[in-house]
Amino acid sequence: MTVLLEGHTAKAFDGALLTLHMHVIEMGGLVLDQVREATRAYTEWDAQAAERVLERDPSVNSYDARLKEEQINLIARRQPVASDLKAIISMSQAVAELERAGHEARKIARTVLKIEGRPGPATARDVRHIGRLAIELLHSSLQAFDRLDQRLAAEVVAQDSELDAEYGAGLRRLLTRAMEDPRGFEVALEAAFVLKSLERIGDHARNLARHLQAMSLGGAAAVIEEPAPALTPPPAANR
Amino acid sequence: MHEPRRAEAHEAGGGSDESRRLLEAGLNLKPSGRVHAPSSTAPPESASSGAAGEITVADPVFSCRDLSVFYGDKRALKNISVDIGRRQVLAAIGPSGCGKSTFVRCLNRMNDTIPGARVTGTITLDGQDIHDAASDVVRLRARVGMVFQKPNPFPKSIYDNVAYGPRIHGLTRSRADLDEVVCTSLQRAGLWSEVKDRLKALATGLSGGQQQRLCIARTLAVQPEVILMDEPCSALDPIATAHVEDLIDELRESYTIVIVTHSMQQAARVSQRTAYFHLGELIEVGATEQVFGNPQRKLTEDYITGRFG
Repeated sequence: MTVLLEGHTAKAFDGALLTLHMHVIEMGGLVLDQVREATRAYTEWDAQAAERVLERDPSVNSYDARLKEEQINLIARRQPVASDLKAIISMSQAVAELERAGHEARKIARTVLKIEGRPGPATARDVRHIGRLAIELLHSSLQAFDRLDQRLAAEVVAQDSELDAEYGAGLRRLLTRAMEDPRGFEVALEAAFVLKSLERIGDHARNLARHLQAMSLGGAAAVIEEPAPALTPPPAANR
Repeated sequence: MHEPRRAEAHEAGGGSDESRRLLEAGLNLKPSGRVHAPSSTAPPESASSGAAGEITVADPVFSCRDLSVFYGDKRALKNISVDIGRRQVLAAIGPSGCGKSTFVRCLNRMNDTIPGARVTGTITLDGQDIHDAASDVVRLRARVGMVFQKPNPFPKSIYDNVAYGPRIHGLTRSRADLDEVVCTSLQRAGLWSEVKDRLKALATGLSGGQQQRLCIARTLAVQPEVILMDEPCSALDPIATAHVEDLIDELRESYTIVIVTHSMQQAARVSQRTAYFHLGELIEVGATEQVFGNPQRKLTEDYITGRFG
């Protein structure tokens, strides 16, 4: 429950903001699915799944374009200030993160269609593991954005460093395997790029959470739930 | 002697994400407070702790301390303490009946003309109490001019409208001097080029926007230090409004301006400081970017985002 996007006397303003928010989440759902499919396509070496990801990629771009227009219209019509303006700017930045995450999914899918060699079982296992972490992170950040849940957003920001660590470890294992068997070097190189894409997707998820946090930082927009202790005067907002 | 209360100041210029996080940590707030809808169990917002933001300025023209206004038994303004900065525009905003017009009318003692009106507290202009027995209220109203919502040109020629003040106050010695004052005032009000060939024409024949600029010229002719404007553009179309706002931008290089406005967009466009009034109290005052970008009080936030009522 939030006061952040609603409560305007002009209900149409509420409607426009909530619709924008809903569209951001929809785009997030699409991008999440792209990442899932692209990762699965790589680990299972499924060219058809990879093709589907590439076919759907333009939808991600068109979401991006439509949402830009929606935001501009909202700003032009409503001249938002304070928390409303912060919310719109944050959502605009969230869309940019999602668009880039979608781009990474496309890169992963292209890998499947580009080279001959599929990853060995150890590499596939690593990519599956790190892919799962990245997908969970993106899923959580979208959930946080959907519910405007600051607590969850903070968790996502913290968890990204775990993904970064796993990525580092996975990369090291990959390089070790490549050094032991130089014939698999090209496959290892592409696998490294896939791992990097997944790490970047984690970063975009973390940034999404940060943009959500920025929506309520400062001023009167953030009202802390905890009641004031009885003996001290009630706090006026949080600053 | 009431010491001006300096409320918690928000970081000037908005601060950075990092500094906000440090500030939150320092204030011992939970890092992930959930936003929630206001409920009846939430502590009531009150201004009893004083206005939020920056009440004082470095070089004030006006200083108001504990200013209250009563119309008979009804208290229209409650303990207003605020400074008005030199050669700046201060916008007074708030819902109808909040006291912003009453506040502005105090600054040139227009409330004196209302039967049953009583003013308590102090207002100083350049350090001198304007209610002092020795002070000259006529002179005050020349130093602190006023432009009203509905343009009110005298039913005289354009020239005589502007010349009236200087004549009455004996500001000029010769006809040539008077011509000069009229010309300069009309120029400063951005009206000269439109009327220079018809100064003898009746002022009431001008358009609404021109009439308002004529009223501004009339005010300028008596060499004010401060110009008060009570919703000066409410009766004007958007083009005339833009002309007046542009004029305000120019005028603030030489004059201090206080503007009451119903339009928050206008307040955001023309002012450097904004004061938000509510039910006779000053809720928040500060740099316009801060009040509209990052208001400190929930009442302010609700009003400017249209969540009021």
